[in-house]
Amino acid sequence: MGRLSWRLAEVVEVRPETGRVVTLALEVPGWDGHRPGQHVDVRLTAEDGYQAERAYSIASAPDGSRVELAVERLEDGEVSPYLAGELRKGDQLELRGPVGGYFVWEPDRGGPLLLVGGGSGVVPLMAMVRQRAAAGSHVPARLLYSSRDLEDVIFREELERLEAAGDGLTVTYALTRAQPAGWTGYARRVDAVMLEEVGWRPGERPLAYVCGPTRLVEAVASHLVALGHDPSRVRTERFGPTGVP
Amino acid sequence: MTMDETDLRLDGNGVAGMLAEVFGFEMTVCWGCCAGCGASNQLGAMLVYAHGMGAVACCPACGQHLLRIARGEGRWWLDLRGLAWLQLDEQARMAG
Repeated sequence: MGRLSWRLAEVVEVRPETGRVVTLALEVPGWDGHRPGQHVDVRLTAEDGYQAERAYSIASAPDGSRVELAVERLEDGEVSPYLAGELRKGDQLELRGPVGGYFVWEPDRGGPLLLVGGGSGVVPLMAMVRQRAAAGSHVPARLLYSSRDLEDVIFREELERLEAAGDGLTVTYALTRAQPAGWTGYARRVDAVMLEEVGWRPGERPLAYVCGPTRLVEAVASHLVALGHDPSRVRTERFGPTGVP
Repeated sequence: MTMDETDLRLDGNGVAGMLAEVFGFEMTVCWGCCAGCGASNQLGAMLVYAHGMGAVACCPACGQHLLRIARGEGRWWLDLRGLAWLQLDEQARMAG
């Protein structure tokens, strides 16, 4: 399990992913590792002592004392414009964690896996997909990723590579606002028909992890249960109103 | 699309750090029973409304308040009236 105390991490890499999302790679002294799906709490302290805390999902598979977060810049945000705009390599950041154990998947939990993410909700799912690949797992996994357009898709090249490895991962996009010319994929929000086409049959007893804006998560979870999936095998992580895929 | 209460709803994951600070356990994997309807769930499945100072967590089955938690002026306030019981798993104990 995780650690309670706040500690200082050092930013070792800042990597733009899309126009609004950056990956922050952190070196955390004494980090005991994490489980895919967990998050960290980040705390910023202003000069007058005012503190703001936010939770950010871990995007990376467990890797020693290195932890990667993917942070979406929200224009009216209190914390994300700093993390995803001003933070530089060598800066320090106060964090606590890893936190969470409910929205967690590890290869020994088996599958088949249905991962449904909206916008930056793909981040904790990416940790699961990366850990699956790193562990050489062949648990069949289907990722359904809803995004406004193709430019907003986070980790696109890596997801292509992981899918091309042919070890049982498929990636399907639903582009809700704009589609490139000649797009033959889904061009609407995730709905029951899409979940039936992309997902597993209830009889295959998939484990489903759904993460993203609250509306998307609740719609998807309701559809899955209505399609006959066992509610206890549908895990959700609501991100609130952030991100609008 | 206008924003309403629905958009602000989070899961138990959203208060995991706060609850860990108070209880010293990874509470999202611990089980609690709703005093209203009797449903047992892991706290990660709770519906949570979080605000600057604290949060209200509700039963995913019936919507009743399970717990309220707030922090201010060096104190934590907890209202656990909505829970019939809470089970803390030793394996979920967190390091300091």
